[in-house]
Amino acid sequence: MTGVWLAHRILVAFFLAWIVATIVFLALHMVPGDPAELLLSTGGVSPDPAAVAELREKLGLDQPVLLQYGGFLAGLMRGDFGNSLVDDYPVLHEIGLRLPRTLELILAGTLLAIAIGMPAGVYAALHRGGRFDRAASWITALLLAIPVFVVGTLLVLLFAQTLKIMPAGGFVPLTQDPAQHFKLLALPAVAIAKGLAAVLFRMTRAAMLDALANDYVRTARAKGLAPTRVLVVHVLRNALNPVVTVLGLQMGALLGGTVLVEYVFNWPGLSTPLLRAVEARDYPMVVGIVLTISVLFLLINLVVELLHAALDPRIGAR
Amino acid sequence: MTDRNFHPSRRAVMAGGAAFAGAFLAPRGLRAQGKDTLRFALSSFPANLRPFQHVGTSAGAIKLMIHRGLIGYDAAGKLRGEIAESYRADGERAYVFELRENARFHNGDPVTGEDVNFTIEQIAGAKSTAYLKAAYEIVESVEVKGRSVRIVLKAPSATFPFHLASFNAPIISAKSTDNEAIGCGPYRITGTERGTRIDLAAFDGFYRPGFPKTPKLACIAYADENLRVAALQAGDVDLIEYVPWQSMESIANNSALKLDATDGPFMGLVFNVKQGPFANAKVRQAVAYAVNRADIVKAAFFGRGTPMEGMPVVPNSPFYDAARESHWKQDIAKAKQLLAEAGLPNGFQTTLLSSAQYGMHKDTAEIVQQSLAAVGIQVTLQLPDYATRLQMGNRGQYEFAVVGYALDYEDPDAMSSFLAGSTASYQRSFGFENKAITELLAKGRGELDPAARKRIYDDLMRLALEEAPMVGLAWRSQGYAFRREVEGFRSLPGSLSFYSPVTLAETAIR
Repeated sequence: MTGVWLAHRILVAFFLAWIVATIVFLALHMVPGDPAELLLSTGGVSPDPAAVAELREKLGLDQPVLLQYGGFLAGLMRGDFGNSLVDDYPVLHEIGLRLPRTLELILAGTLLAIAIGMPAGVYAALHRGGRFDRAASWITALLLAIPVFVVGTLLVLLFAQTLKIMPAGGFVPLTQDPAQHFKLLALPAVAIAKGLAAVLFRMTRAAMLDALANDYVRTARAKGLAPTRVLVVHVLRNALNPVVTVLGLQMGALLGGTVLVEYVFNWPGLSTPLLRAVEARDYPMVVGIVLTISVLFLLINLVVELLHAALDPRIGAR
Repeated sequence: MTDRNFHPSRRAVMAGGAAFAGAFLAPRGLRAQGKDTLRFALSSFPANLRPFQHVGTSAGAIKLMIHRGLIGYDAAGKLRGEIAESYRADGERAYVFELRENARFHNGDPVTGEDVNFTIEQIAGAKSTAYLKAAYEIVESVEVKGRSVRIVLKAPSATFPFHLASFNAPIISAKSTDNEAIGCGPYRITGTERGTRIDLAAFDGFYRPGFPKTPKLACIAYADENLRVAALQAGDVDLIEYVPWQSMESIANNSALKLDATDGPFMGLVFNVKQGPFANAKVRQAVAYAVNRADIVKAAFFGRGTPMEGMPVVPNSPFYDAARESHWKQDIAKAKQLLAEAGLPNGFQTTLLSSAQYGMHKDTAEIVQQSLAAVGIQVTLQLPDYATRLQMGNRGQYEFAVVGYALDYEDPDAMSSFLAGSTASYQRSFGFENKAITELLAKGRGELDPAARKRIYDDLMRLALEEAPMVGLAWRSQGYAFRREVEGFRSLPGSLSFYSPVTLAETAIR
């Protein structure tokens, strides 16, 4: 039963990925701006129409869109995303280089958010109406209201420009200088984490309060179970389900949020080549990166559903 | 309660925090690199480093470090011999270059006349995609005799030396391949982190003994202009290019930093002269008189620029004429009179093409819109992304448009980019063609006598003001900023500002 459910989910994920790839491919070709003309206009030179035609032919842009689409799908089947129209660099190599950095940023941000948001939510629920609960509610409202690029800029202003204790931004490979690598990761991870931590705090607090009000918690306490066991086994486990759902959805949203954070902190993840590719109408690069992000989003959703099934066996059985 | 045992005490939390901070947040001094590495923040990561392609000024900066041409620019913007120890005109159609005996490529080979010949063939060859291909097609032959190289041209050319000095025409070894161009500049690339940074080390075989002064360069791309400034202020980098105008004042007032800026690139308007109201030169002139250029400098460049009321000629140029350069001083009455003479006394409605992608293009368009309302021209702004804007410009899908320019060299001939050309370009008024202007440009290019050239370009610019195919709006300040400890870096004057990284060979950290 679970195997069929999983196979169904994976098939749906593939179908959705194909829909996304098709929409992005067609949308890009409908937007004005010819990559060949743009390439030849660099430096303000007048592109010779013959040269533009020649380049279009070389890049395969002279073929009908449907034919190009067919070639694109065939490439996808072979696991080939094509090469950049700008510098002929393989799109998969670019994604292979950049994706781990984006994932690292998301992972660091998520871990930070979990480490702060969930314990704070548990504590606030256990001390409902207390000073911490009230203060944390205000702070989370503020964190959710401030846009991520404002937080990013403020972090740079405070830690890099004023206190001069952190670098303003950039990237150093882990293998080259681990200490500097993590230092450069810290501020963007905090910027990414701020919204997620606030959401996790609120969700954990609400779910904990719901769970604490259940009869089985009262029964467990009445049986004389240790408070820690009641909290961890009976309250937290039941409260986790909605929190995991939100965490999964938010991690997907982080994939989009990293675009701004990577730009503000000069973190060379997927966002820079995506922006540059859109500007240059570098079709294969845009489609490749958007498809990768979409597949990741679908994967995260799949993992969330699997986690749900693990936490609540009734889901897998349905 | 048992679970309270899990709660750490406040003291423990603070101690842990302090330990973390102590271990992680090293003081700035520990982060700073030594004097042997100069960290240069680029505005973008170069799309490629192919020697003869023009892919932006960041790529140009790297090329100025790893390559050298036959001739180049000194810090004052004057032409000087580079690989050529000396050069001279030989008759009207030839130049003779004496190559330096100690010039070496990065692979250790001496720079020879054959390498010069190879380079010219690569640029001017039939299948070349070089930026300067058209300019190099004037070369008839290259004669090599020992260290002497004689380049014979098909026709006299006063501008050929400028093309030789371009960062898009360096001398490369004949052993170069499509994937690797072997240069002879002061630095060689030692490492590249794609999209992030390029590391360079001093080439010990560079022809100038004792140069470059700094052993290593780390060129790091910071696409966000505000972060570029923050990185300089935080001490992460020593030098930045493309200083945003809004930050120039704070940098100039910072005692730890130095700003070196010059008016170089500029903004202008071009028109669709094939159809619509701007086909009439009087309407173009009316626009030129109506625009409030001081407001453009204030709004788009935070006061860091200069109104351009005539042709794009800098005051220290031998071709400068003070009266001509204030020709378009704002005069609303004159603008209205010209509109009346054109049969449009009540103005008209039109569309101005610009782009919202770059603030300076959008802000300039908005000021033009406001200015023209005063003479009855109701302007609707069209602000697509830059890619769409370029395509619309190249195809003439506009009525008039905002353009940003940076001339390739300090000579009126560089105005060819917006005054004449065989194919349509977003840089030129669509459909504009003036036989007299084209002939004067060709005449000026072929004239070697400076006084005669001045007369030719005086005639040309008088005609260009009458026809107004490009209406200049404002010079914009182009700046580099660096830490006070950085010595020897200079911003080259005028449109040569983008050649400033050539002075990195003379730059050192105190």
